[in-house]
Amino acid sequence: MNVITNNNIKCTIALAALQNVVDPEIGLNVVDLGLIYQIDFDEADSRIFCTMTLTTQFCPMGEFITDAVAKTLDSTFPENEINVKLTFTPPWSNQMISEEGQNFLNR
Amino acid sequence: MFSVAGNTSLIKTTSHKVVVPFYVYAAISFLVATIMLLVAAPSFTQHYFHPRTLAITHIMALGWGTMIILGASHQLVPVLIEGKLHSNKLAGLCFILAATGIPLLSYGFYVFDMGWPAKWGGRLIILAIIVYLINLGMSMAKSKKENVHAVFLFTGGLWLLVTTIVGLVLVYNFTYPLMPKESLHYLALHAHTGVVGWFLLLVIGVGSRLIPMFLISKYSNPGLLWLIYGLINGGLASFVFIFLFADSKSAVLMPFIAVAVAIFLFAYYCYKSFSQRIRKKVDEQMRISLLSVLMMLLPVVVLVVIISIMLLAATPDIRVILIYGFVIFFGWITAIILGMTFKTLPFIVWNKVYHTLSATGKTPNPKDMFSRTVFISMGVIYLGGFALFPIGILLNNILILQSASVLLLLVAVLYNWNVIKILVHKPVIR
Repeated sequence: MNVITNNNIKCTIALAALQNVVDPEIGLNVVDLGLIYQIDFDEADSRIFCTMTLTTQFCPMGEFITDAVAKTLDSTFPENEINVKLTFTPPWSNQMISEEGQNFLNR
Repeated sequence: MFSVAGNTSLIKTTSHKVVVPFYVYAAISFLVATIMLLVAAPSFTQHYFHPRTLAITHIMALGWGTMIILGASHQLVPVLIEGKLHSNKLAGLCFILAATGIPLLSYGFYVFDMGWPAKWGGRLIILAIIVYLINLGMSMAKSKKENVHAVFLFTGGLWLLVTTIVGLVLVYNFTYPLMPKESLHYLALHAHTGVVGWFLLLVIGVGSRLIPMFLISKYSNPGLLWLIYGLINGGLASFVFIFLFADSKSAVLMPFIAVAVAIFLFAYYCYKSFSQRIRKKVDEQMRISLLSVLMMLLPVVVLVVIISIMLLAATPDIRVILIYGFVIFFGWITAIILGMTFKTLPFIVWNKVYHTLSATGKTPNPKDMFSRTVFISMGVIYLGGFALFPIGILLNNILILQSASVLLLLVAVLYNWNVIKILVHKPVIR
Protein backbone atom coordinates (compact mmCIF):
# COMPACT_ATOMS: atom_id res chain seq x y z
CA MET A 1 0.00 0.00 0.00
CA ASN A 2 1.36 3.42 -0.94
CA VAL A 3 1.70 6.02 1.79
CA ILE A 4 -0.01 9.34 1.04
CA THR A 5 2.27 12.34 1.49
CA ASN A 6 2.84 15.93 0.46
CA ASN A 7 6.64 15.58 0.49
CA ASN A 8 8.08 12.50 -1.21
CA ILE A 9 11.69 13.05 -0.17
CA LYS A 10 10.99 13.57 3.54
CA CYS A 11 8.46 10.76 3.48
CA THR A 12 11.10 8.38 2.12
CA ILE A 13 13.40 9.36 5.02
CA ALA A 14 10.56 8.87 7.50
CA LEU A 15 9.60 5.47 6.10
CA ALA A 16 13.24 4.35 6.15
CA ALA A 17 13.38 5.23 9.85
CA LEU A 18 10.04 3.57 10.55
CA GLN A 19 11.33 0.32 9.08
CA ASN A 20 13.03 -0.09 12.46
CA VAL A 21 9.68 -0.17 14.24
CA VAL A 22 8.74 -3.83 14.28
CA ASP A 23 5.51 -5.50 15.37
CA PRO A 24 6.88 -7.77 18.13
CA GLU A 25 4.42 -10.59 17.42
CA ILE A 26 4.70 -10.70 13.64
CA GLY A 27 8.34 -9.66 13.42
CA LEU A 28 7.60 -7.36 10.47
CA ASN A 29 8.11 -3.59 10.43
CA VAL A 30 5.14 -1.21 10.45
CA VAL A 31 5.88 0.10 6.94
CA ASP A 32 5.84 -3.29 5.19
CA LEU A 33 2.94 -4.33 7.37
CA GLY A 34 0.97 -1.43 5.82
CA LEU A 35 0.18 0.31 9.11
CA ILE A 36 1.31 3.76 7.94
CA TYR A 37 -1.43 5.46 5.89
CA GLN A 38 -0.25 9.04 5.53
CA ILE A 39 2.67 11.32 6.47
CA ASP A 40 2.27 15.04 5.84
CA PHE A 41 4.86 17.75 6.48
CA ASP A 42 3.85 21.24 7.51
CA GLU A 43 7.01 23.16 6.62
CA ALA A 44 5.75 26.52 7.88
CA ASP A 45 5.01 25.35 11.42
CA SER A 46 7.61 22.53 11.52
CA ARG A 47 4.99 19.91 12.18
CA ILE A 48 4.64 16.34 10.93
CA PHE A 49 1.30 14.55 10.80
CA CYS A 50 1.40 10.77 10.63
CA THR A 51 -1.82 8.78 10.25
CA MET A 52 -1.51 5.10 11.04
CA THR A 53 -3.53 2.06 12.00
CA LEU A 54 -3.06 -1.26 13.82
CA THR A 55 -3.73 -4.80 12.65
CA THR A 56 -6.67 -4.96 15.05
CA GLN A 57 -8.44 -2.64 17.46
CA PHE A 58 -7.27 -3.29 21.01
CA CYS A 59 -4.13 -4.87 19.60
CA PRO A 60 -2.18 -5.85 22.75
CA MET A 61 0.91 -4.17 21.28
CA GLY A 62 -0.98 -1.08 20.09
CA GLU A 63 0.31 1.42 22.63
CA PHE A 64 3.89 0.25 22.19
CA ILE A 65 3.75 0.46 18.38
CA THR A 66 2.13 3.91 18.20
CA ASP A 67 4.60 5.27 20.78
CA ALA A 68 7.50 3.74 18.87
CA VAL A 69 6.32 5.39 15.63
CA ALA A 70 6.02 8.78 17.36
CA LYS A 71 9.42 8.48 19.06
CA THR A 72 11.14 7.31 15.87
CA LEU A 73 9.77 10.25 13.86
CA ASP A 74 10.73 12.56 16.73
CA SER A 75 14.33 11.35 16.69
CA THR A 76 14.49 11.46 12.85
CA PHE A 77 13.07 14.99 12.64
CA PRO A 78 14.03 16.51 16.03
CA GLU A 79 13.25 20.07 14.93
CA ASN A 80 9.61 19.14 14.16
CA GLU A 81 6.57 18.60 16.32
CA ILE A 82 5.22 15.09 15.69
CA ASN A 83 1.51 14.32 15.67
CA VAL A 84 0.60 10.67 15.28
CA LYS A 85 -3.06 10.01 14.62
CA LEU A 86 -4.48 6.53 15.07
CA THR A 87 -7.35 5.56 12.80
CA PHE A 88 -9.28 2.41 12.02
CA THR A 89 -10.85 3.83 8.86
CA PRO A 90 -10.20 2.04 6.62
CA PRO A 91 -9.54 -0.98 8.80
CA TRP A 92 -6.27 -2.78 8.21
CA SER A 93 -6.41 -5.85 6.02
CA ASN A 94 -3.70 -8.26 4.98
CA GLN A 95 -3.90 -6.85 1.42
CA MET A 96 -2.07 -3.82 2.82
CA ILE A 97 1.09 -5.83 3.44
CA SER A 98 3.82 -4.87 0.96
CA GLU A 99 5.41 -7.37 -1.41
CA GLU A 100 8.53 -7.41 0.78
CA GLY A 101 6.29 -8.08 3.76
CA GLN A 102 4.50 -10.92 1.94
CA ASN A 103 7.89 -12.45 1.07
CA PHE A 104 8.98 -12.15 4.72
CA LEU A 105 5.84 -13.91 5.92
CA ASN A 106 6.18 -16.60 3.25
CA ARG A 107 9.62 -17.61 4.50
CA MET B 1 8.02 16.78 20.91
CA PHE B 2 5.39 14.25 19.92
CA SER B 3 1.82 13.27 20.62
CA VAL B 4 -0.45 10.37 19.76
CA ALA B 5 -4.09 11.22 19.05
CA GLY B 6 -7.09 9.74 17.22
CA ASN B 7 -8.77 6.55 18.39
CA THR B 8 -6.30 6.03 21.23
CA SER B 9 -9.02 4.60 23.49
CA LEU B 10 -8.98 1.62 21.16
CA ILE B 11 -5.46 0.65 22.18
CA LYS B 12 -5.96 0.47 25.95
CA THR B 13 -5.94 -3.19 26.90
CA THR B 14 -6.93 -4.78 30.21
CA SER B 15 -4.36 -4.27 32.97
CA HIS B 16 -1.96 -7.16 33.58
CA LYS B 17 -2.80 -6.88 37.30
CA VAL B 18 -6.29 -8.17 36.51
CA VAL B 19 -5.23 -11.04 34.29
CA VAL B 20 -1.98 -12.47 35.70
CA PRO B 21 -3.50 -13.81 38.98
CA PHE B 22 -5.86 -16.03 36.93
CA TYR B 23 -2.92 -17.48 34.98
CA VAL B 24 -0.87 -18.09 38.15
CA TYR B 25 -3.82 -19.73 39.88
CA ALA B 26 -4.45 -21.97 36.87
CA ALA B 27 -0.79 -23.01 36.63
CA ILE B 28 -0.74 -24.00 40.33
CA SER B 29 -4.07 -25.84 39.93
CA PHE B 30 -2.68 -27.85 37.03
CA LEU B 31 0.31 -28.84 39.16
CA VAL B 32 -1.92 -29.77 42.11
CA ALA B 33 -4.25 -31.78 39.85
CA THR B 34 -1.39 -33.78 38.32
CA ILE B 35 0.13 -34.47 41.77
CA MET B 36 -3.28 -35.71 42.90
CA LEU B 37 -3.58 -37.75 39.70
CA LEU B 38 -0.33 -39.53 40.58
CA VAL B 39 -1.31 -40.08 44.21
CA ALA B 40 -4.84 -41.19 43.33
CA ALA B 41 -4.00 -43.17 40.18
CA PRO B 42 -5.49 -46.41 41.61
CA SER B 43 -8.90 -44.71 41.94
CA PHE B 44 -9.06 -44.64 38.13
CA THR B 45 -9.57 -48.40 38.21
CA GLN B 46 -12.81 -47.83 40.14
CA HIS B 47 -16.13 -46.04 39.52
CA TYR B 48 -15.94 -42.49 38.16
CA PHE B 49 -18.10 -41.29 41.04
CA HIS B 50 -15.13 -41.57 43.39
CA PRO B 51 -14.12 -38.75 45.79
CA ARG B 52 -10.55 -38.48 44.40
CA THR B 53 -11.74 -38.54 40.79
CA LEU B 54 -14.39 -35.90 41.51
CA ALA B 55 -11.83 -33.69 43.27
CA ILE B 56 -9.33 -33.97 40.38
CA THR B 57 -12.07 -33.35 37.81
CA HIS B 58 -13.20 -30.16 39.58
CA ILE B 59 -9.64 -28.87 40.02
CA MET B 60 -9.05 -29.48 36.30
CA ALA B 61 -12.40 -28.03 35.20
CA LEU B 62 -12.50 -25.03 37.53
CA GLY B 63 -9.00 -24.35 38.84
CA TRP B 64 -7.23 -25.07 35.56
CA GLY B 65 -9.62 -24.70 32.64
CA THR B 66 -12.11 -22.15 33.94
CA MET B 67 -9.62 -19.90 35.74
CA ILE B 68 -7.36 -19.58 32.73
CA ILE B 69 -10.31 -19.01 30.42
CA LEU B 70 -11.67 -16.34 32.78
CA GLY B 71 -8.25 -14.69 32.88
CA ALA B 72 -7.73 -14.87 29.14
CA SER B 73 -11.27 -13.68 28.43
CA HIS B 74 -10.78 -10.60 30.66
CA GLN B 75 -7.67 -9.87 28.62
CA LEU B 76 -9.28 -10.69 25.28
CA VAL B 77 -12.66 -9.02 25.83
CA PRO B 78 -11.40 -5.77 24.24
CA VAL B 79 -10.13 -7.68 21.19
CA LEU B 80 -13.27 -9.81 20.95
CA ILE B 81 -15.94 -7.16 21.49
CA GLU B 82 -13.90 -4.23 20.18
CA GLY B 83 -14.63 -2.31 23.35
CA LYS B 84 -13.09 -1.82 26.78
CA LEU B 85 -13.57 -4.14 29.76
CA HIS B 86 -16.24 -2.52 31.95
CA SER B 87 -14.52 -2.88 35.33
CA ASN B 88 -11.14 -4.10 36.57
CA LYS B 89 -12.52 -4.18 40.12
CA LEU B 90 -15.27 -6.63 39.14
CA ALA B 91 -12.62 -8.78 37.43
CA GLY B 92 -10.62 -8.76 40.69
CA LEU B 93 -13.73 -9.66 42.68
CA CYS B 94 -14.47 -12.51 40.26
CA PHE B 95 -10.96 -13.84 40.88
CA ILE B 96 -11.18 -13.63 44.68
CA LEU B 97 -14.57 -15.36 44.78
CA ALA B 98 -13.54 -18.16 42.40
CA ALA B 99 -10.10 -18.57 43.95
CA THR B 100 -11.68 -19.07 47.38
CA GLY B 101 -14.54 -21.24 46.23
CA ILE B 102 -12.61 -23.76 44.11
CA PRO B 103 -10.36 -25.21 46.87
CA LEU B 104 -13.31 -25.37 49.28
CA LEU B 105 -15.40 -27.32 46.77
CA SER B 106 -12.49 -29.59 45.78
CA TYR B 107 -11.68 -30.28 49.43
CA GLY B 108 -15.33 -31.17 49.99
CA PHE B 109 -15.14 -33.72 47.18
CA TYR B 110 -11.74 -35.08 48.25
CA VAL B 111 -12.94 -35.95 51.76
CA PHE B 112 -16.47 -36.45 50.43
CA ASP B 113 -17.98 -34.13 52.99
CA MET B 114 -20.88 -32.30 51.39
CA GLY B 115 -21.16 -29.99 54.38
CA TRP B 116 -20.10 -26.34 54.59
CA PRO B 117 -16.83 -26.45 52.51
CA ALA B 118 -18.52 -27.89 49.43
CA LYS B 119 -21.62 -25.72 49.85
CA TRP B 120 -19.72 -22.49 50.43
CA GLY B 121 -17.32 -23.41 47.66
CA GLY B 122 -20.22 -23.83 45.25
CA ARG B 123 -21.89 -20.59 46.38
CA LEU B 124 -18.70 -18.56 45.95
CA ILE B 125 -18.10 -20.00 42.48
CA ILE B 126 -21.65 -19.10 41.44
CA LEU B 127 -21.13 -15.54 42.73
CA ALA B 128 -17.85 -15.33 40.78
CA ILE B 129 -19.63 -16.28 37.57
CA ILE B 130 -22.44 -13.79 38.20
CA VAL B 131 -19.83 -11.05 38.68
CA TYR B 132 -18.07 -12.17 35.47
CA LEU B 133 -21.33 -12.08 33.51
CA ILE B 134 -22.22 -8.60 34.82
CA ASN B 135 -18.76 -7.33 33.81
CA LEU B 136 -18.92 -8.98 30.39
CA GLY B 137 -22.53 -7.89 29.77
CA MET B 138 -21.76 -4.27 30.70
CA SER B 139 -18.68 -4.31 28.44
CA MET B 140 -20.76 -5.66 25.55
CA ALA B 141 -23.55 -3.12 26.14
CA LYS B 142 -21.04 -0.26 25.99
CA SER B 143 -19.39 -1.64 22.85
CA LYS B 144 -22.72 -1.60 20.93
CA LYS B 145 -21.21 -3.76 18.20
CA GLU B 146 -22.74 -7.08 17.27
CA ASN B 147 -19.95 -9.58 17.42
CA VAL B 148 -20.30 -13.34 17.12
CA HIS B 149 -17.23 -14.01 19.30
CA ALA B 150 -18.62 -11.95 22.18
CA VAL B 151 -21.97 -13.74 21.91
CA PHE B 152 -20.15 -17.09 22.22
CA LEU B 153 -18.38 -15.74 25.31
CA PHE B 154 -21.52 -14.46 27.03
CA THR B 155 -23.61 -17.54 26.22
CA GLY B 156 -20.75 -19.72 27.47
CA GLY B 157 -20.83 -17.77 30.73
CA LEU B 158 -24.59 -18.35 31.03
CA TRP B 159 -24.13 -22.10 30.53
CA LEU B 160 -21.38 -22.05 33.16
CA LEU B 161 -23.82 -20.40 35.55
CA VAL B 162 -26.39 -23.13 34.78
CA THR B 163 -23.68 -25.77 35.31
CA THR B 164 -22.60 -24.42 38.68
CA ILE B 165 -26.17 -23.93 39.90
CA VAL B 166 -26.97 -27.54 38.93
CA GLY B 167 -23.71 -28.56 40.63
CA LEU B 168 -24.65 -26.81 43.88
CA VAL B 169 -28.13 -28.35 43.78
CA LEU B 170 -26.46 -31.77 43.43
CA VAL B 171 -24.24 -31.00 46.44
CA TYR B 172 -27.35 -30.08 48.47
CA ASN B 173 -29.09 -33.17 47.16
CA PHE B 174 -26.66 -35.31 49.16
CA THR B 175 -27.96 -33.90 52.43
CA TYR B 176 -31.50 -32.72 51.55
CA PRO B 177 -33.46 -34.59 48.87
CA LEU B 178 -34.08 -31.67 46.50
CA MET B 179 -34.20 -33.71 43.31
CA PRO B 180 -36.45 -36.69 42.48
CA LYS B 181 -33.40 -38.92 41.87
CA GLU B 182 -29.97 -39.27 43.45
CA SER B 183 -27.16 -36.89 42.43
CA LEU B 184 -25.30 -39.50 40.37
CA HIS B 185 -28.24 -39.57 37.94
CA TYR B 186 -27.79 -35.87 37.09
CA LEU B 187 -24.04 -36.06 36.60
CA ALA B 188 -24.35 -36.32 32.80
CA LEU B 189 -26.49 -33.17 32.75
CA HIS B 190 -24.06 -31.23 34.97
CA ALA B 191 -21.01 -32.42 33.03
CA HIS B 192 -22.38 -31.72 29.55
CA THR B 193 -23.71 -28.24 30.28
CA GLY B 194 -20.21 -27.47 31.56
CA VAL B 195 -18.17 -29.16 28.86
CA VAL B 196 -20.33 -28.25 25.86
CA GLY B 197 -21.99 -25.06 27.10
CA TRP B 198 -18.97 -23.50 28.75
CA PHE B 199 -15.73 -25.00 27.44
CA LEU B 200 -16.78 -25.78 23.87
CA LEU B 201 -18.51 -22.42 23.31
CA LEU B 202 -15.62 -20.54 24.88
CA VAL B 203 -12.91 -22.38 22.98
CA ILE B 204 -14.75 -21.94 19.67
CA GLY B 205 -15.67 -18.30 20.38
CA VAL B 206 -12.15 -17.30 21.36
CA GLY B 207 -10.34 -19.71 19.02
CA SER B 208 -12.27 -18.54 15.97
CA ARG B 209 -10.94 -15.02 16.63
CA LEU B 210 -7.40 -15.84 17.74
CA ILE B 211 -6.46 -18.66 15.36
CA PRO B 212 -6.97 -16.58 12.14
CA MET B 213 -5.45 -13.56 13.91
CA PHE B 214 -2.25 -15.31 14.91
CA LEU B 215 -1.97 -17.08 11.55
CA ILE B 216 -2.69 -13.77 9.74
CA SER B 217 -5.31 -15.57 7.71
CA LYS B 218 -7.53 -14.11 5.01
CA TYR B 219 -10.33 -16.45 6.02
CA SER B 220 -13.40 -15.04 7.71
CA ASN B 221 -16.82 -16.69 7.90
CA PRO B 222 -19.17 -15.25 10.56
CA GLY B 223 -22.09 -17.12 8.95
CA LEU B 224 -20.44 -20.45 9.66
CA LEU B 225 -19.73 -19.38 13.25
CA TRP B 226 -23.40 -18.46 13.76
CA LEU B 227 -24.37 -21.89 12.41
CA ILE B 228 -21.95 -23.55 14.85
CA TYR B 229 -23.40 -21.39 17.65
CA GLY B 230 -26.94 -22.50 16.76
CA LEU B 231 -25.99 -26.17 16.53
CA ILE B 232 -24.24 -26.21 19.92
CA ASN B 233 -26.90 -24.28 21.80
CA GLY B 234 -29.78 -26.04 20.05
CA GLY B 235 -28.13 -29.41 20.68
CA LEU B 236 -27.41 -28.68 24.32
CA ALA B 237 -30.84 -27.19 25.06
CA SER B 238 -32.54 -30.20 23.48
CA PHE B 239 -30.24 -32.53 25.47
CA VAL B 240 -31.32 -30.83 28.72
CA PHE B 241 -34.97 -31.14 27.70
CA ILE B 242 -34.63 -34.81 26.72
CA PHE B 243 -32.69 -35.59 29.89
CA LEU B 244 -35.27 -34.01 32.18
CA PHE B 245 -38.54 -34.70 30.41
CA ALA B 246 -38.17 -37.51 27.86
CA ASP B 247 -36.61 -40.70 29.10
CA SER B 248 -35.54 -41.85 25.65
CA LYS B 249 -32.03 -43.10 24.93
CA SER B 250 -32.41 -42.88 21.15
CA ALA B 251 -33.54 -39.21 21.39
CA VAL B 252 -30.07 -38.35 22.73
CA LEU B 253 -28.77 -38.99 19.22
CA MET B 254 -30.22 -35.72 17.92
CA PRO B 255 -28.31 -33.35 20.25
CA PHE B 256 -25.21 -35.51 19.90
CA ILE B 257 -25.29 -35.19 16.11
CA ALA B 258 -25.86 -31.41 16.33
CA VAL B 259 -22.85 -30.87 18.61
CA ALA B 260 -20.67 -33.33 16.64
CA VAL B 261 -21.49 -31.47 13.39
CA ALA B 262 -20.61 -28.18 15.12
CA ILE B 263 -17.22 -29.58 16.15
CA PHE B 264 -16.53 -30.82 12.61
CA LEU B 265 -17.53 -27.40 11.23
CA PHE B 266 -15.17 -25.66 13.66
CA ALA B 267 -12.37 -28.02 12.59
CA TYR B 268 -13.21 -27.04 8.99
CA TYR B 269 -13.11 -23.34 9.96
CA CYS B 270 -9.65 -23.83 11.48
CA TYR B 271 -8.50 -25.77 8.42
CA LYS B 272 -9.65 -22.95 6.11
CA SER B 273 -7.94 -20.36 8.35
CA PHE B 274 -4.77 -22.45 8.24
CA SER B 275 -4.83 -23.01 4.47
CA GLN B 276 -5.47 -19.30 3.75
CA ARG B 277 -2.83 -18.01 6.13
CA ILE B 278 -0.38 -15.38 4.97
CA ARG B 279 2.17 -16.22 7.64
CA LYS B 280 3.53 -19.54 6.40
CA LYS B 281 5.67 -20.41 9.41
CA VAL B 282 3.50 -21.78 12.20
CA ASP B 283 5.09 -21.68 15.66
CA GLU B 284 4.90 -24.51 18.21
CA GLN B 285 2.28 -22.75 20.34
CA MET B 286 -0.05 -22.55 17.36
CA ARG B 287 0.69 -26.13 16.35
CA ILE B 288 -0.33 -27.44 19.77
CA SER B 289 -3.45 -25.21 19.67
CA LEU B 290 -4.39 -26.55 16.24
CA LEU B 291 -3.72 -30.09 17.46
CA SER B 292 -6.19 -29.46 20.29
CA VAL B 293 -8.87 -28.75 17.66
CA LEU B 294 -8.29 -32.22 16.23
CA MET B 295 -8.32 -33.61 19.77
CA MET B 296 -11.89 -32.27 20.12
CA LEU B 297 -12.92 -35.10 17.82
CA LEU B 298 -11.71 -37.77 20.31
CA PRO B 299 -14.53 -37.31 22.85
CA VAL B 300 -16.96 -37.45 19.92
CA VAL B 301 -15.56 -40.86 18.97
CA VAL B 302 -15.74 -42.11 22.58
CA LEU B 303 -19.28 -40.79 22.87
CA VAL B 304 -20.25 -42.73 19.74
CA VAL B 305 -19.10 -45.87 21.57
CA ILE B 306 -21.04 -44.92 24.73
CA ILE B 307 -24.26 -44.09 22.85
CA SER B 308 -23.96 -47.26 20.75
CA ILE B 309 -23.72 -49.36 23.92
CA MET B 310 -26.67 -47.48 25.45
CA LEU B 311 -28.79 -48.04 22.33
CA LEU B 312 -28.09 -51.75 22.63
CA ALA B 313 -29.86 -51.46 26.00
CA ALA B 314 -26.66 -52.10 27.89
CA THR B 315 -24.86 -50.01 30.51
CA PRO B 316 -21.61 -48.54 29.19
CA ASP B 317 -18.45 -49.82 30.81
CA ILE B 318 -17.25 -47.46 33.55
CA ARG B 319 -13.79 -47.43 31.95
CA VAL B 320 -15.20 -45.95 28.73
CA ILE B 321 -16.84 -43.14 30.71
CA LEU B 322 -13.60 -42.49 32.60
CA ILE B 323 -11.74 -42.29 29.27
CA TYR B 324 -14.42 -39.93 27.97
CA GLY B 325 -13.84 -37.55 30.88
CA PHE B 326 -10.08 -37.87 30.62
CA VAL B 327 -9.89 -37.05 26.90
CA ILE B 328 -11.97 -33.95 27.57
CA PHE B 329 -10.16 -32.46 30.58
CA PHE B 330 -6.64 -33.73 29.96
CA GLY B 331 -7.19 -33.76 26.18
CA TRP B 332 -8.38 -30.82 24.13
CA ILE B 333 -9.03 -28.45 27.04
CA THR B 334 -5.50 -28.95 28.39
CA ALA B 335 -3.90 -28.94 24.93
CA ILE B 336 -5.42 -25.63 23.91
CA ILE B 337 -4.41 -24.08 27.23
CA LEU B 338 -0.84 -25.40 26.90
CA GLY B 339 -0.62 -23.77 23.48
CA MET B 340 -2.54 -20.55 24.02
CA THR B 341 -0.92 -19.71 27.38
CA PHE B 342 2.34 -19.14 25.55
CA LYS B 343 0.62 -17.06 22.89
CA THR B 344 -1.17 -14.77 25.36
CA LEU B 345 0.79 -14.58 28.65
CA PRO B 346 4.07 -13.40 27.02
CA PHE B 347 2.13 -10.51 25.42
CA ILE B 348 0.58 -9.51 28.74
CA VAL B 349 3.92 -9.49 30.57
CA TRP B 350 5.79 -8.04 27.57
CA ASN B 351 3.39 -5.08 27.57
CA LYS B 352 3.94 -4.55 31.28
CA VAL B 353 7.74 -4.63 30.94
CA TYR B 354 8.28 -2.84 27.63
CA HIS B 355 5.34 -0.51 26.96
CA THR B 356 7.32 2.52 28.15
CA LEU B 357 10.51 1.42 26.41
CA SER B 358 9.43 1.78 22.78
CA ALA B 359 12.08 3.00 20.31
CA THR B 360 14.83 2.76 22.95
CA GLY B 361 16.56 -0.17 21.25
CA LYS B 362 15.87 -3.71 20.12
CA THR B 363 13.49 -5.42 22.53
CA PRO B 364 13.10 -9.20 22.71
CA ASN B 365 9.97 -10.64 21.09
CA PRO B 366 7.27 -12.07 23.38
CA LYS B 367 8.17 -15.57 22.18
CA ASP B 368 11.72 -15.07 23.50
CA MET B 369 10.43 -14.70 27.06
CA PHE B 370 10.09 -18.44 27.65
CA SER B 371 12.26 -21.44 26.84
CA ARG B 372 11.38 -22.98 23.49
CA THR B 373 13.21 -26.20 24.42
CA VAL B 374 11.18 -26.55 27.61
CA PHE B 375 8.00 -25.82 25.64
CA ILE B 376 8.74 -28.47 22.99
CA SER B 377 9.72 -31.02 25.69
CA MET B 378 6.47 -30.22 27.48
CA GLY B 379 4.49 -30.85 24.27
CA VAL B 380 6.18 -34.18 23.52
CA ILE B 381 5.85 -35.47 27.11
CA TYR B 382 2.23 -34.33 27.17
CA LEU B 383 1.40 -36.42 24.11
CA GLY B 384 3.05 -39.45 25.74
CA GLY B 385 1.16 -39.01 29.04
CA PHE B 386 -2.10 -38.28 27.28
CA ALA B 387 -1.85 -41.41 25.12
CA LEU B 388 -0.75 -43.68 27.99
CA PHE B 389 -3.35 -42.82 30.65
CA PRO B 390 -6.42 -44.11 28.74
CA ILE B 391 -4.51 -47.36 28.07
CA GLY B 392 -4.02 -47.66 31.85
CA ILE B 393 -7.76 -47.12 32.39
CA LEU B 394 -8.65 -49.64 29.70
CA LEU B 395 -6.28 -52.31 31.05
CA ASN B 396 -7.05 -51.48 34.71
CA ASN B 397 -3.31 -51.29 35.16
CA ILE B 398 -2.15 -49.11 38.06
CA LEU B 399 1.49 -49.12 36.93
CA ILE B 400 0.57 -47.69 33.52
CA LEU B 401 -1.72 -45.15 35.19
CA GLN B 402 1.08 -44.08 37.52
CA SER B 403 3.62 -43.89 34.66
CA ALA B 404 1.24 -41.69 32.64
CA SER B 405 0.60 -39.57 35.74
CA VAL B 406 4.35 -39.04 36.19
CA LEU B 407 4.53 -37.81 32.59
CA LEU B 408 1.57 -35.45 33.10
CA LEU B 409 3.10 -34.19 36.35
CA LEU B 410 6.29 -33.47 34.43
CA VAL B 411 4.21 -31.54 31.89
CA ALA B 412 2.77 -29.43 34.72
CA VAL B 413 6.26 -28.80 36.14
CA LEU B 414 7.61 -27.70 32.73
CA TYR B 415 4.52 -25.57 32.14
CA ASN B 416 4.98 -23.85 35.52
CA TRP B 417 8.69 -23.42 34.82
CA ASN B 418 7.99 -21.48 31.64
CA VAL B 419 5.14 -19.50 33.22
CA ILE B 420 7.46 -18.42 36.06
CA LYS B 421 10.17 -17.57 33.52
CA ILE B 422 7.73 -15.23 31.75
CA LEU B 423 6.45 -13.67 34.97
CA VAL B 424 9.92 -12.80 36.33
CA HIS B 425 11.17 -11.44 33.01
CA LYS B 426 13.31 -8.30 33.39
CA PRO B 427 13.74 -5.75 30.59
CA VAL B 428 16.48 -6.52 28.07
CA ILE B 429 17.30 -3.76 25.58
CA ARG B 430 20.01 -4.34 23.00
